[in-house]
Parts: sequence; C-alpha cells; structure tokens
Amino acid sequence: MSCTVRIPSPLRSYTAGAATVAAEGETVEDVLADLERRFAGIRFRMVDEQSRIRRHIRLYVNTVEVTALSQPVAARDTVHVICALSGG
Amino acid sequence: MTLTASELSRYHRHLALPELGRAGQERLKNARVVVVGAGGLGSPAALYLAAAGVGTLGLVDCDRVELSNLQRQVLFDTAAVGRLKTEVARERLLALNPEITVIAHTLTLRAENVLEVLRDYDLVLDGTDRLATRYLVNDACVLLGKPLVSAAIHRFEGHAMTYVPGRGPCYRCLFPAAEEGLVASCSEAGVLGVLPGVLGAIQATEAVKIVTGIGEPIVGRLVTYDALELRFVELPVARRADCAVCGEHRTITAPQDTGEVCDSAALSRVRRLTAIALRDLLTSEASGSSGLALIDVREPHEFDTRHLQGARNIPLADLERRLGELEAARMPIFLCRSGRRSLTACAIALRAGIEAPAHLEGGLLAWTAEVDPAFEVAPG
Repeated sequence: MSCTVRIPSPLRSYTAGAATVAAEGETVEDVLADLERRFAGIRFRMVDEQSRIRRHIRLYVNTVEVTALSQPVAARDTVHVICALSGG
Repeated sequence: MTLTASELSRYHRHLALPELGRAGQERLKNARVVVVGAGGLGSPAALYLAAAGVGTLGLVDCDRVELSNLQRQVLFDTAAVGRLKTEVARERLLALNPEITVIAHTLTLRAENVLEVLRDYDLVLDGTDRLATRYLVNDACVLLGKPLVSAAIHRFEGHAMTYVPGRGPCYRCLFPAAEEGLVASCSEAGVLGVLPGVLGAIQATEAVKIVTGIGEPIVGRLVTYDALELRFVELPVARRADCAVCGEHRTITAPQDTGEVCDSAALSRVRRLTAIALRDLLTSEASGSSGLALIDVREPHEFDTRHLQGARNIPLADLERRLGELEAARMPIFLCRSGRRSLTACAIALRAGIEAPAHLEGGLLAWTAEVDPAFEVAPG
C-alpha cells in the first residue's frame, strides 16, 4: 500500500530536495524502513537506536500523532514528519 | 488610557471593525508586548504591532545590522549596517508610529536575566534564531504565566504556534528537547527572504487577537507553512503530562541555560557512513598507509571497553582544543556509541575548517548490529 510522506525541510537533503515522497508499508515502522532503503540515513534522523521517535521530531498519520511505530498506515494516508526549526 | 483625536484617525480602519472597535484599540494601546529577536521574524512582527498601536513594544536583540540581514529583515536599511539593531529598530518603529513607546533591550537573554526582562510584558513573541533561547523563553513564559507566540523558519518552511500557560501545550510539549547536532538553523542553510514575512505576520496577528480578545489563537495547533508549494498544514498538539516545565512532575522550576547546537548546513556537508560502508572503506585501505583517521569521541572508559582497531580516542569535550592533532591529509571519521556525539564532532571539525569530516551513522551500535555481532559497545 502506498502512502505519501511529507519530508521536512531539514531532511530534504536525503530526498534530493523532494518535499513529498511515496512510501510503502502497513505501519509507520514499515514506512520508515521503506524510506531508509531509498534514502539511506534518513530513518536515524527521525528515530534513535532504540527506535524511539527523537524528541525534536513529531510524526503524524494524517492528523493523528504517532506515539508508537506500530501505528497502522493505510493507502492514501499522509505521514507528516515535523522537525524542530530554530531559524528566526 | 483612551484614544486621542489623532489616534482615532490613525486607527480608523481598526475602529471600523466591529469585532475590534474602540475597546479593542484601547486594549492594544494599553498592551505591553515584547519581541525576542529583531531578525527575519521580529522585523515584520514589530512593524505590524507598532502600526497596530501596541502601546509598549519591547525589542530584545544584541546584534548589529549586517548587509546579509537586509534580504529579509525589513526593519533595517542599508544605511543601518553596523548599527545596533535595537537602536535602529526603535527609530524606525517610532517613525512609523510616534504614539507608542519602544523599549530597546540590547542584551542576550540568559537564565539570570530572562525573568526580569519578560516580567513587565503581557505577551511575548519569539523570533530568535537560537534553539537554546527558544527553550529559555518558553520556560520563562511558563514560569511567569505569560502567553507566547512562537515561530521558526528554515529554508522554505516555517512553523507557528501560540502557547497560553494553563490553556494548552508549551514549546517543550511540542518538542521536549533538541538533540545536539540534529536540529536545523538557517544561518548557513539559507532562507527565502519573504518566508519570515509570512510567519512574522502570523505572529503579529496572534498577538493582536490575544490582546483584543478576538478570534481563536493557534493554541494546541501547530501551523506549518511550505513556501514552495504555498501549503499550510495544521496539526494538533496536546499537552504532555511528562513535560519538564508544564507537566505533572516538573523538573524545570527556574530558567536554565543550555548549550549551543550545530546547524543543518554543517550536517549537509558531513559524510554519513553506514557500518557496512565504513567496513568496506577500512577493508579497501592498505593497512598502515591509510588516508583515513578513525577518531573515537566517546569517553575514555567507553573506549577502553572496546574500540575499532586503529581508532584514536579524543573525547568530544576535548575535541575542539585537540583538533590540531588531526593530520590535514587524512579524512577524519568520527565514531561514538550511537552517532550523536560523532555528528557533533563533525560540526566542530567543519567549523574549524576541516573539509570533509565523516561519521559512522548509528554509531558503534550499528557496527555491532551490521558488521560484528561480537563487538561489545560500552554503555554511554
């Protein structure tokens, strides 16, 4: 199943500048694994080595905040990756 | 304080709005609002608040105007280059609206002065470009019970959210902590000049709404803006019961200074090696004549437990002063337990002019997972 992932500005260096990419997976974990396969290193910028979402990152499936990577993702869902920004 | 004849004329278009009217304009006149950071966000925010008739406007900044500011910081002009931002801003805002009072705070906010500076204001706008200051201002606002309108920008993207203590989440509920080396700033990554115009105007809008009591502020709603697609997205944010400053078991009861973080421009110039890629690099290098320098930035006790063959130990805290030990001809590859300290090490190396630092993504834990299951990584 294909969903859409919105990539935050600070992580677009991994996706060749793409703001939106398609990804496959039935859970958030699957989606992150699919992203990692295509954009090596991007997963580690979002989750740590214990697979916890980093504290300056928020993930949403549509408008529901992701609290566990096992959260299901359906076809045509949008996964939003939000990264803290510090510019002013 | 009631409105004078000239103010009735100046604010006529506000007075024509029944939702705002004379009572709302008087609230604006009696309001005290402080803008932290007279930069890309603070410029439009302060201009609109001055124009709107906020009676007392504070500005916090310690920098001088630079030529590179003028692409987006619309408070300043070319003749102002080299002058203190707060002084120039004060002149500009008073020229726009002499009916108001502008207070210049030419200082850096720190734990020891933040409460004193913010205490006298009703509302705080955060447009700083330092993450540490964002947390400092948030914590001070929670501790003082002041509403805070925050925005941040990076390249073509911006965020805005309003925090009203007791009514919704705070900035630490949104992002509990910024991990060193992993958060983006835009001083080097670049920023579209008009981007802070959009976000600063949103901040000013929120301030006017809160002061006058009209509309619905973006409390508990993170607004993200992508200029390239001209797309706004709104996402809900809940209070965190475990928030360190506004949660049920608070650990932050006074403002505290935190360290600097490195920026994403630096991160984009770092070579990120997977464990497999590092193994292949090491295998392909002739032993003893390697062009690589493995620098393990963990603490000595971690290093002593187990380290990669040929690695040298320079703990992260010592790196800056020991950078001279790195040989210019060899590409440093920084290693640590999880990849976090090594990324910071790369940023330190870049700042010191080392061109192509690399680090092991995921750290030695990834090495154990992907290359050598027998490699024991000491607890951090």
